[in-house]
Amino acid sequence: MSEPAAAAEPAAAPPDSTRTGPGRLLVAVYGLFALSASARAAVQIATKFSHAPVAYLLSAFAAVVYIIATVTLTAGSPTARRIAVVSCSVEFAGVLAVGTWSLVDRAIFPDATVWSGYGSGYGFVPLVLPVFGLLWLRYWSRRDRTGRTAESAAPADTETTSAGTPPAPA
Amino acid sequence: MSGAVPTTIIVAGLALAGYALLMTALNRRVGFALLAAIGVLEVLLLVLIGLVVVQLVDGGRPASLPTLIGYLIAMPFVPLVAGLWGAMERSRWGPAVYAVAGLVAAVLMVRLHEIWPVIRV
Repeated sequence: MSEPAAAAEPAAAPPDSTRTGPGRLLVAVYGLFALSASARAAVQIATKFSHAPVAYLLSAFAAVVYIIATVTLTAGSPTARRIAVVSCSVEFAGVLAVGTWSLVDRAIFPDATVWSGYGSGYGFVPLVLPVFGLLWLRYWSRRDRTGRTAESAAPADTETTSAGTPPAPA
Repeated sequence: MSGAVPTTIIVAGLALAGYALLMTALNRRVGFALLAAIGVLEVLLLVLIGLVVVQLVDGGRPASLPTLIGYLIAMPFVPLVAGLWGAMERSRWGPAVYAVAGLVAAVLMVRLHEIWPVIRV
Protein backbone atom coordinates (compact mmCIF):
# COMPACT_ATOMS: atom_id res chain seq x y z
CA MET A 1 0.00 0.00 0.00
CA SER A 2 2.82 2.42 -0.82
CA GLU A 3 1.11 4.51 -3.45
CA PRO A 4 -1.95 6.63 -2.75
CA ALA A 5 -4.77 4.38 -3.92
CA ALA A 6 -7.58 6.52 -5.22
CA ALA A 7 -10.33 4.07 -5.97
CA ALA A 8 -11.12 5.43 -9.41
CA GLU A 9 -7.56 5.07 -10.68
CA PRO A 10 -6.90 2.07 -12.85
CA ALA A 11 -4.41 -0.25 -11.22
CA ALA A 12 -1.59 -1.37 -13.46
CA ALA A 13 0.74 -3.18 -11.04
CA PRO A 14 1.17 -6.86 -11.88
CA PRO A 15 0.13 -9.32 -9.18
CA ASP A 16 2.92 -9.81 -6.63
CA SER A 17 1.74 -13.16 -5.22
CA THR A 18 -0.69 -16.00 -5.92
CA ARG A 19 -3.27 -14.31 -3.68
CA THR A 20 -3.31 -10.96 -5.51
CA GLY A 21 -4.62 -9.99 -8.92
CA PRO A 22 -6.78 -12.76 -10.40
CA GLY A 23 -5.64 -14.87 -7.44
CA ARG A 24 -7.73 -12.62 -5.18
CA LEU A 25 -10.88 -13.90 -6.88
CA LEU A 26 -9.59 -17.47 -7.06
CA VAL A 27 -8.82 -17.62 -3.33
CA ALA A 28 -12.24 -16.10 -2.54
CA VAL A 29 -14.07 -18.77 -4.54
CA TYR A 30 -11.89 -21.58 -3.15
CA GLY A 31 -12.55 -20.28 0.37
CA LEU A 32 -16.27 -20.25 -0.32
CA PHE A 33 -16.20 -23.86 -1.48
CA ALA A 34 -13.95 -24.88 1.43
CA LEU A 35 -16.53 -23.45 3.81
CA SER A 36 -19.63 -24.83 2.12
CA ALA A 37 -18.19 -28.30 1.43
CA SER A 38 -16.90 -28.61 5.01
CA ALA A 39 -20.21 -27.53 6.51
CA ARG A 40 -22.15 -29.82 4.22
CA ALA A 41 -19.94 -32.83 4.97
CA ALA A 42 -20.04 -32.14 8.71
CA VAL A 43 -23.85 -32.01 8.80
CA GLN A 44 -24.20 -35.08 6.56
CA ILE A 45 -21.75 -37.24 8.50
CA ALA A 46 -23.00 -36.12 11.92
CA THR A 47 -26.71 -36.55 11.25
CA LYS A 48 -27.25 -39.32 8.67
CA PHE A 49 -23.98 -41.03 7.80
CA SER A 50 -25.52 -44.49 7.15
CA HIS A 51 -27.91 -43.01 4.57
CA ALA A 52 -25.19 -42.57 1.93
CA PRO A 53 -21.70 -43.22 3.37
CA VAL A 54 -19.87 -43.11 0.02
CA ALA A 55 -21.39 -39.77 -0.96
CA TYR A 56 -20.71 -38.25 2.44
CA LEU A 57 -17.11 -39.44 2.59
CA LEU A 58 -16.56 -37.95 -0.87
CA SER A 59 -18.08 -34.68 0.38
CA ALA A 60 -15.55 -34.70 3.21
CA PHE A 61 -12.70 -35.49 0.79
CA ALA A 62 -13.77 -32.60 -1.46
CA ALA A 63 -13.83 -30.32 1.56
CA VAL A 64 -10.24 -31.25 2.44
CA VAL A 65 -9.10 -30.62 -1.14
CA TYR A 66 -10.75 -27.18 -1.17
CA ILE A 67 -9.18 -26.27 2.18
CA ILE A 68 -5.70 -27.28 0.94
CA ALA A 69 -6.14 -25.24 -2.25
CA THR A 70 -7.34 -22.18 -0.32
CA VAL A 71 -4.45 -22.30 2.14
CA THR A 72 -1.71 -23.00 -0.41
CA LEU A 73 -2.92 -20.36 -2.90
CA THR A 74 -3.04 -17.84 -0.05
CA ALA A 75 0.47 -18.76 1.12
CA GLY A 76 1.97 -18.69 -2.38
CA SER A 77 5.50 -19.89 -1.53
CA PRO A 78 7.18 -22.22 -4.06
CA THR A 79 6.42 -25.22 -1.81
CA ALA A 80 2.83 -24.13 -1.32
CA ARG A 81 2.45 -23.76 -5.08
CA ARG A 82 3.72 -27.28 -5.68
CA ILE A 83 1.18 -28.62 -3.18
CA ALA A 84 -1.49 -26.51 -4.86
CA VAL A 85 -0.70 -28.04 -8.27
CA VAL A 86 -1.21 -31.52 -6.79
CA SER A 87 -4.42 -30.59 -4.99
CA CYS A 88 -5.92 -28.80 -8.02
CA SER A 89 -5.08 -31.83 -10.18
CA VAL A 90 -6.67 -34.19 -7.65
CA GLU A 91 -9.66 -31.85 -7.53
CA PHE A 92 -10.07 -31.87 -11.31
CA ALA A 93 -9.74 -35.67 -11.45
CA GLY A 94 -12.22 -35.92 -8.56
CA VAL A 95 -14.83 -33.76 -10.27
CA LEU A 96 -14.55 -35.80 -13.48
CA ALA A 97 -14.56 -39.17 -11.68
CA VAL A 98 -17.33 -38.44 -9.18
CA GLY A 99 -19.34 -36.59 -11.83
CA THR A 100 -19.25 -39.60 -14.15
CA TRP A 101 -19.75 -42.08 -11.31
CA SER A 102 -22.81 -40.17 -10.02
CA LEU A 103 -24.44 -40.33 -13.45
CA VAL A 104 -23.67 -44.03 -14.00
CA ASP A 105 -24.53 -45.38 -10.56
CA ARG A 106 -27.27 -43.24 -9.05
CA ALA A 107 -27.99 -45.78 -6.29
CA ILE A 108 -24.74 -45.05 -4.50
CA PHE A 109 -25.48 -41.31 -4.53
CA PRO A 110 -28.99 -40.98 -3.07
CA ASP A 111 -27.81 -37.61 -1.76
CA ALA A 112 -25.69 -35.19 -3.76
CA THR A 113 -22.05 -34.28 -3.16
CA VAL A 114 -20.36 -31.10 -4.31
CA TRP A 115 -18.98 -33.00 -7.31
CA SER A 116 -22.15 -34.90 -8.34
CA GLY A 117 -23.12 -34.30 -11.97
CA TYR A 118 -19.80 -32.45 -12.49
CA GLY A 119 -20.87 -29.85 -9.93
CA SER A 120 -24.20 -29.12 -11.60
CA GLY A 121 -25.73 -28.24 -8.22
CA TYR A 122 -23.20 -25.43 -7.92
CA GLY A 123 -23.47 -23.95 -11.40
CA PHE A 124 -20.59 -26.18 -12.64
CA VAL A 125 -18.18 -23.94 -10.76
CA PRO A 126 -16.47 -27.05 -9.26
CA LEU A 127 -15.66 -28.16 -12.81
CA VAL A 128 -14.02 -24.92 -13.99
CA LEU A 129 -12.41 -23.92 -10.68
CA PRO A 130 -9.48 -26.41 -10.83
CA VAL A 131 -8.83 -25.43 -14.46
CA PHE A 132 -8.44 -21.77 -13.52
CA GLY A 133 -6.41 -22.80 -10.50
CA LEU A 134 -3.96 -24.77 -12.64
CA LEU A 135 -3.74 -21.98 -15.25
CA TRP A 136 -2.94 -19.50 -12.49
CA LEU A 137 -0.27 -21.80 -11.04
CA ARG A 138 1.23 -22.30 -14.51
CA TYR A 139 1.48 -18.52 -14.90
CA TRP A 140 3.52 -18.40 -11.70
CA SER A 141 5.75 -21.29 -12.59
CA ARG A 142 6.56 -19.68 -15.95
CA ARG A 143 7.18 -16.33 -14.33
CA ASP A 144 9.65 -18.01 -11.98
CA ARG A 145 11.43 -19.78 -14.80
CA THR A 146 11.97 -16.53 -16.67
CA GLY A 147 14.09 -15.24 -13.82
CA ARG A 148 11.86 -13.38 -11.44
CA THR A 149 10.91 -14.66 -8.02
CA ALA A 150 7.53 -13.78 -6.63
CA GLU A 151 9.03 -12.51 -3.39
CA SER A 152 11.34 -9.97 -5.03
CA ALA A 153 8.82 -8.55 -7.47
CA ALA A 154 8.03 -5.08 -6.18
CA PRO A 155 4.65 -3.67 -7.23
CA ALA A 156 6.26 -0.42 -8.36
CA ASP A 157 8.44 -2.21 -10.92
CA THR A 158 7.83 -1.87 -14.61
CA GLU A 159 5.90 -4.52 -16.46
CA THR A 160 7.36 -7.94 -15.91
CA THR A 161 9.12 -9.27 -18.93
CA SER A 162 7.66 -12.71 -18.37
CA ALA A 163 4.06 -11.69 -19.01
CA GLY A 164 4.37 -11.54 -22.75
CA THR A 165 7.16 -13.99 -23.49
CA PRO A 166 6.43 -17.24 -25.28
CA PRO A 167 6.25 -20.33 -23.08
CA ALA A 168 9.60 -21.74 -22.05
CA PRO A 169 10.29 -25.28 -23.18
CA ALA A 170 9.28 -27.75 -20.50
CA MET B 1 -42.90 -14.60 7.64
CA SER B 2 -42.96 -11.90 5.00
CA GLY B 3 -40.84 -12.41 1.92
CA ALA B 4 -39.85 -8.75 1.79
CA VAL B 5 -36.39 -9.07 3.34
CA PRO B 6 -35.22 -12.15 1.36
CA THR B 7 -36.51 -10.57 -1.85
CA THR B 8 -34.70 -7.34 -1.04
CA ILE B 9 -31.51 -9.32 -0.41
CA ILE B 10 -31.81 -11.04 -3.80
CA VAL B 11 -32.30 -7.71 -5.57
CA ALA B 12 -29.51 -6.02 -3.58
CA GLY B 13 -27.13 -8.95 -4.11
CA LEU B 14 -27.70 -9.06 -7.86
CA ALA B 15 -27.41 -5.26 -8.11
CA LEU B 16 -24.13 -5.39 -6.18
CA ALA B 17 -22.86 -8.17 -8.44
CA GLY B 18 -23.79 -6.25 -11.59
CA TYR B 19 -22.20 -3.01 -10.42
CA ALA B 20 -19.09 -4.81 -9.17
CA LEU B 21 -18.65 -6.63 -12.49
CA LEU B 22 -18.99 -3.28 -14.27
CA MET B 23 -16.18 -1.91 -12.06
CA THR B 24 -14.07 -4.96 -12.93
CA ALA B 25 -14.72 -4.41 -16.63
CA LEU B 26 -13.77 -0.72 -16.26
CA ASN B 27 -10.54 -1.71 -14.47
CA ARG B 28 -11.46 0.05 -11.21
CA ARG B 29 -10.54 -0.80 -7.66
CA VAL B 30 -12.99 -1.14 -4.78
CA GLY B 31 -14.31 2.34 -4.03
CA PHE B 32 -16.76 3.99 -1.66
CA ALA B 33 -19.88 2.85 -3.51
CA LEU B 34 -18.93 -0.83 -3.35
CA LEU B 35 -17.94 -0.59 0.32
CA ALA B 36 -21.30 1.03 1.10
CA ALA B 37 -23.21 -1.54 -0.96
CA ILE B 38 -21.61 -4.53 0.72
CA GLY B 39 -22.27 -2.88 4.10
CA VAL B 40 -25.96 -2.60 3.23
CA LEU B 41 -25.95 -6.27 2.21
CA GLU B 42 -24.43 -7.21 5.58
CA VAL B 43 -27.12 -5.29 7.47
CA LEU B 44 -29.89 -6.91 5.41
CA LEU B 45 -28.51 -10.39 6.14
CA LEU B 46 -28.34 -9.61 9.88
CA VAL B 47 -31.97 -8.45 9.79
CA LEU B 48 -32.96 -11.69 8.05
CA ILE B 49 -31.09 -13.78 10.62
CA GLY B 50 -33.01 -11.97 13.35
CA LEU B 51 -36.32 -12.73 11.62
CA VAL B 52 -35.45 -16.43 11.22
CA VAL B 53 -34.36 -16.69 14.86
CA VAL B 54 -37.76 -15.24 15.86
CA GLN B 55 -39.43 -18.02 13.85
CA LEU B 56 -37.31 -20.62 15.66
CA VAL B 57 -38.09 -19.10 19.08
CA ASP B 58 -41.78 -19.19 18.19
CA GLY B 59 -41.44 -22.97 17.88
CA GLY B 60 -41.10 -23.42 14.11
CA ARG B 61 -38.70 -26.15 12.96
CA PRO B 62 -37.22 -26.85 9.49
CA ALA B 63 -36.70 -30.42 8.24
CA SER B 64 -32.98 -30.17 9.02
CA LEU B 65 -32.26 -27.84 11.91
CA PRO B 66 -28.43 -28.32 11.79
CA THR B 67 -28.38 -27.25 8.14
CA LEU B 68 -30.38 -24.10 8.88
CA ILE B 69 -28.19 -23.20 11.85
CA GLY B 70 -25.09 -23.74 9.68
CA TYR B 71 -26.47 -21.28 7.14
CA LEU B 72 -27.39 -18.75 9.82
CA ILE B 73 -23.86 -18.89 11.26
CA ALA B 74 -22.04 -18.75 7.91
CA MET B 75 -24.24 -16.14 6.20
CA PRO B 76 -23.06 -12.94 7.93
CA PHE B 77 -19.43 -13.81 7.14
CA VAL B 78 -19.98 -13.66 3.38
CA PRO B 79 -20.15 -9.85 2.94
CA LEU B 80 -17.77 -9.31 5.86
CA VAL B 81 -14.93 -11.52 4.65
CA ALA B 82 -15.47 -10.71 0.96
CA GLY B 83 -15.58 -7.00 1.82
CA LEU B 84 -12.22 -7.09 3.60
CA TRP B 85 -10.59 -9.47 1.10
CA GLY B 86 -11.70 -7.41 -1.90
CA ALA B 87 -10.77 -4.08 -0.33
CA MET B 88 -7.20 -5.35 0.19
CA GLU B 89 -6.83 -5.82 -3.56
CA ARG B 90 -5.43 -2.91 -5.56
CA SER B 91 -6.70 -4.05 -8.93
CA ARG B 92 -9.92 -4.80 -10.79
CA TRP B 93 -10.07 -8.19 -9.04
CA GLY B 94 -11.22 -6.57 -5.79
CA PRO B 95 -14.64 -5.68 -7.25
CA ALA B 96 -14.76 -9.22 -8.74
CA VAL B 97 -14.69 -10.61 -5.18
CA TYR B 98 -17.62 -8.28 -4.32
CA ALA B 99 -19.53 -9.65 -7.30
CA VAL B 100 -19.14 -13.19 -5.95
CA ALA B 101 -20.45 -12.05 -2.54
CA GLY B 102 -23.52 -10.48 -4.16
CA LEU B 103 -24.29 -13.60 -6.19
CA VAL B 104 -23.77 -15.86 -3.17
CA ALA B 105 -26.18 -13.76 -1.09
CA ALA B 106 -28.86 -14.16 -3.77
CA VAL B 107 -28.27 -17.92 -4.06
CA LEU B 108 -28.37 -18.26 -0.27
CA MET B 109 -31.94 -16.90 -0.25
CA VAL B 110 -33.06 -19.61 -2.67
CA ARG B 111 -31.27 -22.29 -0.61
CA LEU B 112 -32.82 -20.98 2.64
CA HIS B 113 -36.26 -21.27 1.07
CA GLU B 114 -35.49 -24.89 0.10
CA ILE B 115 -34.25 -25.69 3.62
CA TRP B 116 -37.25 -24.05 5.30
CA PRO B 117 -40.15 -22.96 3.03
CA VAL B 118 -41.37 -20.64 5.80
CA ILE B 119 -38.59 -18.33 4.60
CA ARG B 120 -40.41 -17.07 1.53
CA VAL B 121 -38.69 -15.37 -1.34
